[in-house]
Amino acid sequence: MIMPKTLKLNLITPQKQLLADLEVQSVVLPAFQGELGVLPGHIPMMVQLGFGSLRYKKDGQEEEFAVLGGFAEILHESVNVFAESAGLAGEIDEEEEKQKIKRAKESLSKKDADIDFELAEIEIKQALTRMKVKKHRLG
Amino acid sequence: MESLRDIRQNIKAIRSTQQIMQTMKMISSARIRKAQESMDNARPFAKKMLEMVADLKQEVLALPQEVDGKESWASRLFVNQTGNPNKMGLIVITGDKGLCGSFNAVILRAAIAFLKENQDKEISVFCVGKKGKDFINRIRHKNINIVYDSVGVFPKVQYVHAELLGEAIMKEFFGKNLSSVTLLYNDFKSMGSQRLAQYKILPFTLDEEIKEKDDHEFLFEPDVKEIFKILVPRLIKANMFRVLLESQAANLAATMNAMDAASKNAGELADALGVKLNKVRQAGITDEILDIVNGAEALNG
Repeated sequence: MIMPKTLKLNLITPQKQLLADLEVQSVVLPAFQGELGVLPGHIPMMVQLGFGSLRYKKDGQEEEFAVLGGFAEILHESVNVFAESAGLAGEIDEEEEKQKIKRAKESLSKKDADIDFELAEIEIKQALTRMKVKKHRLG
Repeated sequence: MESLRDIRQNIKAIRSTQQIMQTMKMISSARIRKAQESMDNARPFAKKMLEMVADLKQEVLALPQEVDGKESWASRLFVNQTGNPNKMGLIVITGDKGLCGSFNAVILRAAIAFLKENQDKEISVFCVGKKGKDFINRIRHKNINIVYDSVGVFPKVQYVHAELLGEAIMKEFFGKNLSSVTLLYNDFKSMGSQRLAQYKILPFTLDEEIKEKDDHEFLFEPDVKEIFKILVPRLIKANMFRVLLESQAANLAATMNAMDAASKNAGELADALGVKLNKVRQAGITDEILDIVNGAEALNG
C-alpha cells in the first residue's frame, strides 16, 4: 500500500465543524489514556478522548485546540475527531475561564441539595483544561 | 345594507390583524437565518458519525450476539427484530404553537396512522413541542404512554435538549425492551417547503454488503465495548440534535409562509371591503342628491 503523505483532519463538535478535511502532516490527540501521536498511514483505530489539547502540524506550523471529551476515528489517510466541545487555543479567554471556575466552586461550597456536583466538577475540569492549553501555547 | 360605520370598523380590524401577521412573518424570517445557520453547522457532525458507524460495520457484526444466554447490547442496537415485538417507541416532533399552516397537522396525521397501525401494541411516546404533547394526551389510550415530553424548546434549541431526549430514548429502549423507535418530524427542504420525515432510528440499520474499502480492521482504545458505550448514545444525541434543528428551521419557514399568505389574504379582503365602502358611500350621496333635486322640482312645480 502506498503511504499517504498527509492526513485529512476533521474536527467536529455537535454545534459546528471547526476543521474540514484540513491537510496536515501530523496530529496529537488527547486520548483518554494519554496523548496519542498520529502520522499518515496509521492503522485504523477508534479512541476515546479525554480533556486535553489537540495539536496538529501543517507545513511546519503548529496549531492547538482545547478538546473536551469525545472520540476520534483514525483511518489511513484521515482523522475524524468528534469532540463534545472544542476551541482554538488562541481564542480561549483566561479571565472567562477563571470566572467559570469561581462560579462552579462557589456553587460547590454552598452544599445545596439541588446542585449537580458532577456537573460543577466537570465544569471546573473543562475550564482548567482550557487554561492549561492556553498557557502551553504561550509558554 | 351595512352602514358605512360598520364597514369602516371592519376594515380597521382587518388591517390591524394584517399588521400582526406581517410582524409575525418578519420575526420568523429574522429567526430563520440563525436557525438555518445552526442547522447547517450541526449537519456535518451527524453525517460523519453515520459514516463512521458504517466504517465500523464489520466490527459491529463481529460482536457477540449473545452474552450469558441473553441478547447482547450490540445485537439489541444493530440487529433488527429483537426486543419485545409488542412494545414500540414513537418520537413526535411538532411545534409549540399553531399559525404555521399544516406543519403540525401533517405530523399528527402521521402519528395517528402509526398508532392505528400498531393499535394492539404498547407504545411509548416521546414528545417535543406542545402541539404533539396535547394531542397525544387527548387520545387517552391505555397502550399509549407519554414517557418524555419537552415543551418550549423552539426556537432556541440547544444541544442539551438533544441530550435529554437522547438519554430518555436510550433508557426507554433498554429499560422497556422496545423493539423499535420511530421518529416523526418535519425535514427542512427549502424556505418554501417542509417534508414529513418518518424513519426508524433504532435499531440502527446497517447494509450487509461490505465494500472493498471496508477491509480495515480497527484497533480500539479502550476496548470495543467501552467505545460503543459512549459512541452509541452520542450518535443518537447528535442525530436528535440535527432533527431538532431541522424541525426548528422548518417550523419557522412554515410560520413565515403561513403568515405571508394570511397577510396577503387580509390585504385582499380589506381592499374588497374598501371598494364596497366606496360604493355604499356613493349610493348615499346619490340618494341625497336625488332628494335635493326632487325637492327643488317640487318647489318649482
